[in-house]
Amino acid sequence: MNLKACYRPLTLKEALDYLEEYKDKSKIIAGGTDLIIKLRKGNINPQVLIDISFINELKGVLEVGEYMEIGCGTTFYDLASCILLNERLKGLKDAARSIGSPQIRNRGTIGGNICNASPAADSVVPLLALDSILTLESKKGKRKIYLKDFFKDKGKTDIRDDEILTTIKFKTPTKNQGLGFYKLGLRKSLAISRISFSVFLEIDDINRIEIIRVASGSVGKFPMREYKIENYLTGRILDEDTLNTALEILEKDIYERLNGRNTARFKSIAAKGVFKKALLKALCLAKGGGKIED
Amino acid sequence: MKIELNVNGKDYSIEIEEYLRLIDLLRDKLNLTGTKEGCGEGECGACTVIMDGRIVNSCLVMAFQAHKSKIITIEGVEDEDIKNAFIEEGAVQCGFCTPGMILAAKSLLDKNENPSEQDIREAISGNLCRCTGYNKIVSAIKKAAEIKRGGRNV
Repeated sequence: MNLKACYRPLTLKEALDYLEEYKDKSKIIAGGTDLIIKLRKGNINPQVLIDISFINELKGVLEVGEYMEIGCGTTFYDLASCILLNERLKGLKDAARSIGSPQIRNRGTIGGNICNASPAADSVVPLLALDSILTLESKKGKRKIYLKDFFKDKGKTDIRDDEILTTIKFKTPTKNQGLGFYKLGLRKSLAISRISFSVFLEIDDINRIEIIRVASGSVGKFPMREYKIENYLTGRILDEDTLNTALEILEKDIYERLNGRNTARFKSIAAKGVFKKALLKALCLAKGGGKIED
Repeated sequence: MKIELNVNGKDYSIEIEEYLRLIDLLRDKLNLTGTKEGCGEGECGACTVIMDGRIVNSCLVMAFQAHKSKIITIEGVEDEDIKNAFIEEGAVQCGFCTPGMILAAKSLLDKNENPSEQDIREAISGNLCRCTGYNKIVSAIKKAAEIKRGGRNV
């Protein structure tokens, strides 16, 4: 390890000053649950660590007009127990609750989960289905980018080395809308997800799908939107035939994406079941009805 | 660099190296070797301590991040109910996971004196045990909760 200095700024402005000074010689640390492992394995070798976990303005959830705005330093525990996030957003809370272990959820942050760009980042999947917008800030100013455009490759994002991801925002779901999440892991805790899906759904009284956004984790290089199945389902009445055709489209799409990997067959088939669970959960919430058991 | 923190009720002001983790600070600088290092990757929970009221893996916190924090390690657990219940129920075998288990149990019981079995299993879900099969640990935490709620014969 080549660490020469560690800073604990108390404000975003101070953090951006450090970042401007050290740029690619530095790394931002928040909860540290991923970064410290990379640091010790030698995967990263920064001279400077800038700890943003003391910056209060980066933590918590705010309701701003029709949007919910989440600070990047909000921990998974805080997200899972946030009373501002209503029942229609259950999929986001379920995802936060499914991450790691209590110890990890007490430290790990939503901003870290996004910026590390792991293919299996559980909290990113529902945020994609919500069509979230990220705010990135540097000394030069702010810019906004859709989360769906943020990932470039496995572990690679669009963030510059003088920027901090400060907030994540999405429209608060309203009547006839709901967000579902389902994850397939090898066991309950501390299991990296094998496949996860999140579905945002708006449906009318005769079960016509007005809006559907589908996001997946661990079936590609990074968490991503599943546009093919979205395009097929939008505007259709959700019945058994429609669902079966949609599942076929999904299986074929994922098989082609993973072609050549030995998990391709398993994942493309299992993804159908995981997607279906997430969809049914979203449907229940959109209808304002009962719950579906895991 | 210098940090200040409170460990088990005692204030410290210590010079640390930048690369030090909280677990290294506790074990090597303060000689609090009750906190164990298992995997070093946040999977096993043997290094669990309570930081500002919440359990964390001390192998996944940098020492400089613990500035101004309040840490409780196994050496600082004064709760005899949990310790006795662990002994009585046979929840300790090799003992390596025990400090982490007890801190996870304490963190649960500090907030909820009447936890369900599911609450208990959830609370220790970040702590691995290779000996007991967990059932004895769950019974011990149930028993500790009963004692806390008022007496041994509940």
